[in-house]
Amino acid sequence: MKDRMHQAIWLRVLRRLGSRTVGWHIGRYLLSIVVLLLVWWGVSAIVEYVKGRAFLPNPVRAIYEVWRLGPMLFRNFWVSAWRLVLAISIALSLGYPLGLLIGHERRLDQLVSPMIYIIYPIPQVAFILPLFLIFGLGNPVKVAIVASALFFQILVSARGAAKLIDFEHVISVRSAGASSWQIYRHVVLPSTLPSILTSLRVSVGLGMAFLYIAETTGSFDPYRGGLGSFIDSNIYSGAQAFAGIMAMALLGMTLYIIIEIIERIVCRWKHIGHKSS
Amino acid sequence: MISVRDVIVEYGRGTKAVRAVEDVSLDIDRGESLALIGPSGCGKTSLLFAMAGLHQTASGTIGIGGLPVNGPRKEIALILQNAGLLPWKTVLQNANLSLLLNKEYPEKTADAVLEDLGLGDVKNRFPSELSEGMKRRVGVARALSTSPSVMLMDEPLASLDTLTKERIQDLFLELWKQHQFTLVLVTHDIEEAAFLGQRIVVLTECPAHIKTVVDNPDMGNLAYRGTESFLNIVGQLREALEE
Repeated sequence: MKDRMHQAIWLRVLRRLGSRTVGWHIGRYLLSIVVLLLVWWGVSAIVEYVKGRAFLPNPVRAIYEVWRLGPMLFRNFWVSAWRLVLAISIALSLGYPLGLLIGHERRLDQLVSPMIYIIYPIPQVAFILPLFLIFGLGNPVKVAIVASALFFQILVSARGAAKLIDFEHVISVRSAGASSWQIYRHVVLPSTLPSILTSLRVSVGLGMAFLYIAETTGSFDPYRGGLGSFIDSNIYSGAQAFAGIMAMALLGMTLYIIIEIIERIVCRWKHIGHKSS
Repeated sequence: MISVRDVIVEYGRGTKAVRAVEDVSLDIDRGESLALIGPSGCGKTSLLFAMAGLHQTASGTIGIGGLPVNGPRKEIALILQNAGLLPWKTVLQNANLSLLLNKEYPEKTADAVLEDLGLGDVKNRFPSELSEGMKRRVGVARALSTSPSVMLMDEPLASLDTLTKERIQDLFLELWKQHQFTLVLVTHDIEEAAFLGQRIVVLTECPAHIKTVVDNPDMGNLAYRGTESFLNIVGQLREALEE
């Protein structure tokens, strides 16, 4: 019976997704890429005309470099991708439950919130040196830099989302005999998921910025690698650096699409129509 | 069945405490239907939540079935203003929630109740796909799923249009007669109180205490609405509230 129920829900989700076919979504992204390349080409031409030199390489040259440096770029892409995904996972698995707990438990919130308000506004870049001293050189410090930046982002979002939970939903399950754990399981967690996924989208952008900083800091680091390091090493050979930038854009876009798909699955109730009366 | 003795309900502590209910005493018989009516914000929901075990009394006692109420119990069902449905659960999952929380699911399910209430075709839908009237019926299905002996309702039909409201009032009446649970209905709708309450307790402004009790012996059938007796009770309640 449970299987049939899930099957029916999935059919409806797929039907609604079907109204915007996969082809339509791909077409939307391809069109955006074409428009951005054209804008890039235009800006590059204007800069060359004004300055008399090609300071900004045109997209055709950058695409050629992507093709030429393919295998090397691909290796760096994967290094950056796993660092970023690991950092997001660590920040999420620590920040999300802690944020929910602080947001939902009033006394804990009163105790801990001032600490968050003190630490959160500090630019996370300020912690880079201590993190290098704690973790040394290598991959752990790069992941730690990104994770520590995202941790507070997710913690603050989760806390805010937990504070906005509809009181009637909590009363509804409490009156049915729910334990504290069941309230988290059936109300707090699912009702905060949409906000957390929005926060994750923001985290991708922020995480990429910190990943770049982490991968370009410490030129003496033997474990450099990654797209940040690739761009940094080719910073004076314009088109190659822009090939790295294009790969970073691809990484960000891939993560956004993955988050979008996860949201469609875990928050499918948000994507199913509303009946007014 | 339900015994409320000198109950005081307060919010906050110490000097900042706000009293919502003051010295209320009530006895409700098994299978009786009692309506609590009073102005908005008078404290009637606070009294109902205390009966449901969701809010501790500052003083006084509440007992149900001879046992003091210290927290929510399986035999006490509560229907909230907007049915209290969880938007991320389907109709069936919402209806089964009480059973699931009480570890009675999947041995027992709310399937039959949903069918009885005409919701069998929408059991795999989410609340956002239902009309307001359907949502209230899902709330009823959830409450009925554990076969409660006490049904507490907190303005269950607020914000519904008149026809839908009357249709669900008819449903409540039929279910009350069929399942013979003890019904406590909190409402600010005079006609709803007159249609569903065997006894109607009129409460004062906040902090709520009992202003008067109106007996309504002729209620209990669908044709009651519009009879002279019904209109007479409505008149008495209006007068009591305006005093």
